[in-house]
Amino acid sequence: MFEIPKDRAVPFGCVTAAPVGEQPMMITGNWREYRPVLDQEKCNLCMNCVAFCPDACWQLDGAEEEVVWNAKYCKGCLICVNECSTDALSKAYELDFPDGVVRLEKPF
Amino acid sequence: MSVPVKTQNLPPIKKLRNIPKEEQYVPGHRTCAGCGPALQYRLVAKAAGPNTIFLGPTGCMYVANASYLCTPYQVPWIHTQITNGGAVAAGVEAAYQVRIRKGTWKGELPNVIVMAGDGGSSDIGLQAMSALMYRGHDVLFVCYDNESYANTGIQTSPTTPYGSNTTFTPPGKAVPEGKKLFPKDVPQLVIGAHPAVKYVATASVAYPLDLMNKVRKALNHKGPTFLHIHAPCPKGWKFDESKTVEIARLAIETGMWSVYEWEDGEYRYQYKPKQYKPVREYLRTQKRFAHLQEEHIAKMQAFVDARVKSPGVPVNVPLPGPREQP
Amino acid sequence: MAKELLLSGCAAAAQAVKMARVDVICSYPIRPYTAAMMELAKMVNNGELDAEFVHGEGEHAQLAVVYGASAAGARVFTGSSGVGVTYAFENYSPISGGRLPVQMMIADRALDPPGDFGSEHTDAMSARDQGWIMGWAETPQEAFDNHLINYRIGEDRRVMLPQFVCQDGYFVSHIPGKVKIPDQAQVDEFLPPYAPGTHVLDPQQPCSHGPQIRPDQGAIMDLQRGEAFLNLPPVIEEVIDGYNRIMGRSYSPWVEEFMTGDAEIAFFLQGAHAATARHAIRHLRDQGVKAGLVKLRFVRPWPARQVAESLSKFKAVGVIETSTSYGGSMRGGNLLAEVRASLYDLPERPLTTSFMAGLGGDVIPLQEFYWMAQKLADAAKAGRVEKTVYWAGLEH
Repeated sequence: MFEIPKDRAVPFGCVTAAPVGEQPMMITGNWREYRPVLDQEKCNLCMNCVAFCPDACWQLDGAEEEVVWNAKYCKGCLICVNECSTDALSKAYELDFPDGVVRLEKPF
Repeated sequence: MSVPVKTQNLPPIKKLRNIPKEEQYVPGHRTCAGCGPALQYRLVAKAAGPNTIFLGPTGCMYVANASYLCTPYQVPWIHTQITNGGAVAAGVEAAYQVRIRKGTWKGELPNVIVMAGDGGSSDIGLQAMSALMYRGHDVLFVCYDNESYANTGIQTSPTTPYGSNTTFTPPGKAVPEGKKLFPKDVPQLVIGAHPAVKYVATASVAYPLDLMNKVRKALNHKGPTFLHIHAPCPKGWKFDESKTVEIARLAIETGMWSVYEWEDGEYRYQYKPKQYKPVREYLRTQKRFAHLQEEHIAKMQAFVDARVKSPGVPVNVPLPGPREQP
Repeated sequence: MAKELLLSGCAAAAQAVKMARVDVICSYPIRPYTAAMMELAKMVNNGELDAEFVHGEGEHAQLAVVYGASAAGARVFTGSSGVGVTYAFENYSPISGGRLPVQMMIADRALDPPGDFGSEHTDAMSARDQGWIMGWAETPQEAFDNHLINYRIGEDRRVMLPQFVCQDGYFVSHIPGKVKIPDQAQVDEFLPPYAPGTHVLDPQQPCSHGPQIRPDQGAIMDLQRGEAFLNLPPVIEEVIDGYNRIMGRSYSPWVEEFMTGDAEIAFFLQGAHAATARHAIRHLRDQGVKAGLVKLRFVRPWPARQVAESLSKFKAVGVIETSTSYGGSMRGGNLLAEVRASLYDLPERPLTTSFMAGLGGDVIPLQEFYWMAQKLADAAKAGRVEKTVYWAGLEH
């Protein structure tokens, strides 16, 4: 009887699926003006960056030998740079990077 | 309340290297860059683990996370009104008590955690929070304190510090300090007033291990527990978003925030400074205090001096190396 | 065993809720519904009913508690009266929009000001836009039956809507009447256990209940309930048919007619004053007045077609309004506007007017019914109504 445009659909009772691992409907990597840059040599795996990121964008890799950065979601708040215990992290202007400012067709 | 059925024992985390790897509050949420409440939410969720249900009263940790038709909560979550986080949590917990008892749901009683802001805990949500504590439900009530009604554009709340510039307490000729009122002491609203509550603690995003271990300790306790977590807000307090953790630490160093536990009637302090830094060192880092004059700063210092003497006079508790207030 | 007891409306409600094997109850005292909760408290504490009895801190909290419990997969019960109903108001839409089949008993009561414990329908009626099923019981028997019927309707997968199960304060809630109580086996046959489906809060199948939506999605969200209410009537008919069969009742789902066969004038109402109306109609008949009664069972969903069919045969209809809607189109209560809307498309419509009666917990004396009947007869003779509302007993 009713024609609901697909991009305006709302699930039953406004109950949505829970995300697994990440929420791709809210990619925030295109927010940042600066990105954190890690000098692995200086990193002592103190885990401050892992602990202090509100967006969980630093994670220990599988082998637990180094921390890995999440370019897709990092907002560039630079808390990690501020809290790094060994100056291994510094900030750099996002547009200096070839993959700088993730440009998406639609903002969200 | 009825017989609690929780048998879990979440072990304390000894160092940052050992924090659980899995995120229950995943990347992909619309909170501000550097958001203190988002950081504490991530840490609380991580400490609690997958057998958890979150209640989300309206506020930043609802609206900024749940826009639009998507959330970062990997565990079950339900929106509540800002008025009733405690009441909805009570209903969820009661449902699980009876479903487990009747055998219509099989499993360990889930962690039920309310994630309420300062308004949803101490102001409009106070009634529901207190009733939850009184009735003895097996629920952890977390108050993430960003010292304002932030989501609606930074308005004053009962935990907003004296002298803050908010959109309901703007400094002006008639009221130069902006906010005239001194804040409520939120943990004291719970401690000693509710016989069923055996554990209340404060924490800060400055000390994530302490925060996560307090979450686990609270969840291991049978019955209602309360955590008051300091979560600086770059937008509301007007500081650079990279400084969130630094400002949280400075709050503790100046006495603007105290980190302690209250368990079975005894206070235990953590990170208590041997010598407090003057509050002006804290005030000058945030533009919400930029308008304050000397007389206002003096009032703030006097308030903090009195506040760090209470709750409870720091008694000689034999762990771990207590410091006397100079 | 099936038996017949003398129960007040409150006690009957408690009995039904117990037999429905409710999981979570949230109480808060306010006259006159409190007695239902007192009965349930006794049942729980005696071990007769295995349910969580949560002492809510207020009516707003009651609705919040059952919102959470229902979302977590429990069959729930709460209730209130008067200003308690309006204090809880914030929660009504989240519950219906969240498609949680919460059941709330309302033993209606006049709203403040001032304090008045007497019956009036305004408290519940003011919530009729919130997306809940709503209807009145005339007797403790109907109250008992309505609670079971509403659980079954609300929890139906095609419906998933909350229900206000209403009864007149004091007239029904406190005055005992005969109630036939079925076997537990009959109730279990009629009402299966609550099967919540995948939108339940469960760590074993996580979901996010109620995130923000964009403004352009608002209409679609509203349409969900719009559609649910469109699909509701056949389910109600099916459920009541099943109830009648299993329990040996003969309820018609939408309207109940009394002596309407050859009636020229009729009263239209919901709830307890139907009892007085029938006495009045018998007397009027003895005097040669061809009067009848049409009693409404559900005010939401409003059965426009059945109301039109039923009322179209009369010359003049008097709608008894036991609620107020100040400044409304009919200058009186809530029902006349809906009655006229139902009749609008008919090629020939009866004359209709309304009578404010039974407000504040007052009885409607037989004399008032005779006076109303005279007004209707006069209107029928004149071919027009004087006005849309009379305040019965307060004017000539």
